[in-house]
Amino acid sequence: MDLDRLRQDAAAVLKDGRAKMVIGFRDRAGDCVPAFITDAEQAAELVYDETCLVNPAAYLKKIELKRFRPVAVVARPAVMRSLVLLAAEAQIAADDVLILAVGDQEYHGLMDLAGAAALLNEQYAEMPHDPEVMKRLEELSGLTPEERAAFWTEQFAKCTRCYACRAACPMCYCTRCIVEKNVPQWISTAAARHGNYAWNVIRAFHLAGRCTECGACEAACPQGIPLMLLNVSLARDVEDEFGVKAGYDAEAEPVIGSWNADDNEDFIR
Amino acid sequence: MTQTEANTTDSAEAFEPRIVAFVCNWCTYAGADLAGTSRLQYAANVRIIKLPCTGRIDPLFILKAFEGGADAVLVSGCHPGDCHYTSGNYHARRRWTLFRNLLDLTGIDSRRLFFSWVSAAEGQKFADLVDDITGKVREAGPFDPTNPARRQPWT
Repeated sequence: MDLDRLRQDAAAVLKDGRAKMVIGFRDRAGDCVPAFITDAEQAAELVYDETCLVNPAAYLKKIELKRFRPVAVVARPAVMRSLVLLAAEAQIAADDVLILAVGDQEYHGLMDLAGAAALLNEQYAEMPHDPEVMKRLEELSGLTPEERAAFWTEQFAKCTRCYACRAACPMCYCTRCIVEKNVPQWISTAAARHGNYAWNVIRAFHLAGRCTECGACEAACPQGIPLMLLNVSLARDVEDEFGVKAGYDAEAEPVIGSWNADDNEDFIR
Repeated sequence: MTQTEANTTDSAEAFEPRIVAFVCNWCTYAGADLAGTSRLQYAANVRIIKLPCTGRIDPLFILKAFEGGADAVLVSGCHPGDCHYTSGNYHARRRWTLFRNLLDLTGIDSRRLFFSWVSAAEGQKFADLVDDITGKVREAGPFDPTNPARRQPWT
């Protein structure tokens, strides 16, 4: 990783005014935490490695950061996909954002959203699902429904409903979330397991066809609930059933919200 | 004792499945109506909830039904191409494809979730369908009261 070039580019965009803020990462006592940089001199503290799991695209929709647009974002491929998807959903304009693209090994340089989309399609078109998660999904599908229910009972029982998963996700941008609507109250906020179940299932489902598998929600979960099992399972189904991978096309129609006359219907009689 | 508890404390031999059916106004509801006006006999285990269109059926409705004590859920609407609103059932179909897999993963398996297309002319199909799924749910037994989707009493 060419950190020097990343820092130079970050400093350059701040200096010449192409961006008013750079959202990247800095080191805080060994932890990788987000950095919000408005001064070119601070660019020297930018770092990046594979432990930087926060998805900085989530900050773009925060009202406090609107006045700092255009924002330059240090983005790994999953984060670039989030940005492309935010543009596809008309949540950001192409000129709201610049991308400091970091890859698995290398720094790809500074680019605009169209450039990032091109890079994704050229070099990261075949991003596999997390093999560890796929293995656990395989194990789960081998269990009986009762065993699966028991597994999730245990997992969801840990949920404290802090909604860190929602806050960490760039695609959870509704100004009023369904869980906060209480007339009628669809999802119980009581400290009982059915509300936790409904919340976690519906959170995952509202991201169907929209999850770029960045892993920020699971990393943010203070209780260690394996949220990526739900997300990856849905992303896999979306790919298998509808041939769509989220975040590669800024013109794409949403998966849920569009349809095809010959979608599979084996399960409907 | 709440209704939910009353149902779950029934002994096994007296188990009568409680099936919630979300149907669309234009096809399946009319089909069910035809079954009735034609005096067709079918299992009385189904509680019909009429909605404007299958496209109006939010996955939350299905969760709410299971939460409140349903042993199974049936979702039914117009055949593809017949939607009163042109494409509501196509949208719904995509949603169900994904949602049923998600429910299966989290412990509500496909023995308790049924989908069908029943047109306004298919009274017989509706009656047969309800009989068939009632039999299947009877076989599967009551929905586990400890399933995470079920509403828990205060302790």
